[in-house]
Amino acid sequence: MPVETVPAESVFPVPGAPAVVHALWLLTFFLHLVFVNSVVGGSLLGGLSTLVSGRGWKVAELFVELNSWAISLAITFGVAPLLFVQLLYGRFFYTASALLPWIWLGMLLMMAAAYYLNYIAKFRFAAGKGAALAVWGSALLFLGVTAIQVAVNLLHLRPELWTSVATDPMAAFRYGEFRARFLHFVLAALIFAGILLAWISVRRPEKGLDPLALKARAAFGMRVALVATLFQIADGLWLLGAMPRQVLRLWMRQGVLEVLPLLLSIILSFGLLAFLVAAQDPMANPKRVRNALEFFGATMIVMVGMRHQLRNLYHEAAKAADPVQSRAEWGGFLLFALTFALCLGLTICAVVRSVKDRPPEGEPVA
Amino acid sequence: MDYPLFTPAIGGGILIAVISILHVVVSHFAVGGGIVLFALESLSIKNGRDPVFRNAARRGSRILILVSTVFGAISGVGIWFTIGVVQPAGTADLIRLFVWVWAIEWAFFLLEIVTALLYYSTWEKVSPRTHLLLIGLYAFSAYMSLVIIQGILSFMSTPGAWPRTGDVADAFFNPTYLPGLVLRSGVCLLLAGAYLMLAVLAEKDPAGRARLVRFLAAFESMGAALAAAGYFWWENALEPAMRLVFLGPKPLLPGLSATRNQMMMAGLLCLALALLALLAPRFQAWPAAVVSLLAGFAVLGGYERVREGSRKPYVVRPHVFSNGLHAREIDSINQRGILEKSRFARLETGRASPSATEAAATGRAVFRSQCAACHTIDGYLGIRKLTKGADTETLNMILTLMKGDGEGRKKLLKGEEAPLDYPLMPPFVGTDSEQDALAQYLVSLQEVRDAR
Repeated sequence: MPVETVPAESVFPVPGAPAVVHALWLLTFFLHLVFVNSVVGGSLLGGLSTLVSGRGWKVAELFVELNSWAISLAITFGVAPLLFVQLLYGRFFYTASALLPWIWLGMLLMMAAAYYLNYIAKFRFAAGKGAALAVWGSALLFLGVTAIQVAVNLLHLRPELWTSVATDPMAAFRYGEFRARFLHFVLAALIFAGILLAWISVRRPEKGLDPLALKARAAFGMRVALVATLFQIADGLWLLGAMPRQVLRLWMRQGVLEVLPLLLSIILSFGLLAFLVAAQDPMANPKRVRNALEFFGATMIVMVGMRHQLRNLYHEAAKAADPVQSRAEWGGFLLFALTFALCLGLTICAVVRSVKDRPPEGEPVA
Repeated sequence: MDYPLFTPAIGGGILIAVISILHVVVSHFAVGGGIVLFALESLSIKNGRDPVFRNAARRGSRILILVSTVFGAISGVGIWFTIGVVQPAGTADLIRLFVWVWAIEWAFFLLEIVTALLYYSTWEKVSPRTHLLLIGLYAFSAYMSLVIIQGILSFMSTPGAWPRTGDVADAFFNPTYLPGLVLRSGVCLLLAGAYLMLAVLAEKDPAGRARLVRFLAAFESMGAALAAAGYFWWENALEPAMRLVFLGPKPLLPGLSATRNQMMMAGLLCLALALLALLAPRFQAWPAAVVSLLAGFAVLGGYERVREGSRKPYVVRPHVFSNGLHAREIDSINQRGILEKSRFARLETGRASPSATEAAATGRAVFRSQCAACHTIDGYLGIRKLTKGADTETLNMILTLMKGDGEGRKKLLKGEEAPLDYPLMPPFVGTDSEQDALAQYLVSLQEVRDAR
């Protein structure tokens, strides 16, 4: 029986070819996730490193600096997928967020506090002071933000849960599927941050860092990534088991092509595991570190695609997957494409010039 | 109406207003700040790297990064989240109509954020020319964000030819687009001058401080004058029905009229303080700078309130009402009933207190679905106080008149004139039994108070 609480579609059609919107959505969501992984995984790793090495490895310093960029870019690249999810699945997304209104809005405060704590840590490190509290505070707040995002995402997929969450909002955080998804998200972030830490230590270390400390922190990064990957494989199985039977049934009944991303993601996970095992001494195997990063990137691409693919199956399973009316408005899209090309070009130009322009000694600087 | 009902104690409208005002006072500074910092750094380079102007730009860049890229970006998303939970139906329509416009704004936002971060992190690293380019690109992209978003904001009040043509260009370039843009541009300069004034007062060299004060006061005065011109133009561009809400000898909303007057006073105060700083920069001190900044907030906050208030009872005139009702749905809901549509409200009937009668439980659900978007029980626009002393018969009579307004609203949707009994309220929609249940529920609220 269809879920009765699914709101009516907007009277306006989607003003664009759905395929174009989906493609833009996938691309921007992937970029968003890259930065989110750095923010969530990096802040956690920074916190963990303060327990393992104090400030000797400068892991927290590295991620606090990286994240002062990554947080902004995660927000910026999060805006585009947020726009597209509202465009195509607005009635599911708004309902999911309106079921947890204060928690959803509270997430903004958590995000702002976490961002400011990151800056506090940055300024304290620059002044030669410790900032473990700010680093941990930021990491825990970002974990909270992740949990809320995962809960709203789960609710927008599963309208059949809406009536029970309407009476008890905290129920959204008690579903087995929520726990498996949340863990999946956090582990992925840790894997990314671990490999990134090793890669930076091997390829682009900060000036003046002791070679032994570099070696130790690269190994720390790879170890964290390896352990997190092992847990991730187990969690992947848990997630599959926690998914509604009807969704799994619909998925498996589709053709080989539709199940291919799942097989590919399993193969890539084991490939990643192999590279992580082979690169436990990253300084001796820098190429393996790069391979691990590439494998992780490929796994992310497949996972982003699979997540997108499953959305319709979830709605279909809940008998809520009405086709969305669309009317291609190429004029508006073209204007966007031109503006985007212009802004991207200017952004790249600004980045390149900022990196390359280093006036020789004696010449004026800004 | 179709969505879960989120009715905070302060009222959904107030919640949106609080978050919006927090965002706009930051975002307008972010736009104006780019322009002022570009001017500061240009002058510094032109005057042989004048250290006074350079240091002021550097101090300003830290404020810009902490206020704009952190708070501005998060509160911007915050508005989206808030309108999404308070007014999902209207938000969904705006997204469908303007998705490419929003996507264009996002492209500028990307450039804005990256150049802001680069500008802040490349002090003493890159050549002055590159640094100037960065702040120039930032100022350009931040201003373009305003140019884009203004089209959507002004559309909600004055859709212009769009109801007839359905053309997005007509929706975007609506009658209050340019007036609002002039006003907001002025406010951007005013706020940037006011914020940075606080930063430059830390300059130790008295002569240098006086030069900076004069420079920023010039921006403040220009901004105040431009904002005033834009505001009067904006008022003139409004439909007569909207002007009646807060203008004239007997405004429909006297509170809104008072806000307008306070906003004018705040604007005058801003201009006077800016002129004073321009003429006697050496006497500028932080209390005056703080007052000027607060007055700038009052100007912008006042305008936002008047703009939102004059749009009542719509979210998007004349298409979507503040309670999520679409004008084109009036007939169908009158036939099938509001609770047939508002399924989350209907769910709540099962959770009413055991002592409530079936009619009162239904009435509560009708209230939650149609009225609670604006009215709380005892707080903001508290319904208990507003209906005090009214019996079921009186309330039914009022609701019948409100239901009759539905016909007028349909005419307005077609661009025709129509008299209304309750011009500031959405029409009542629903079946006769739902209307009666609502009246009974409202009376039962009085009985609860009497029992206390």
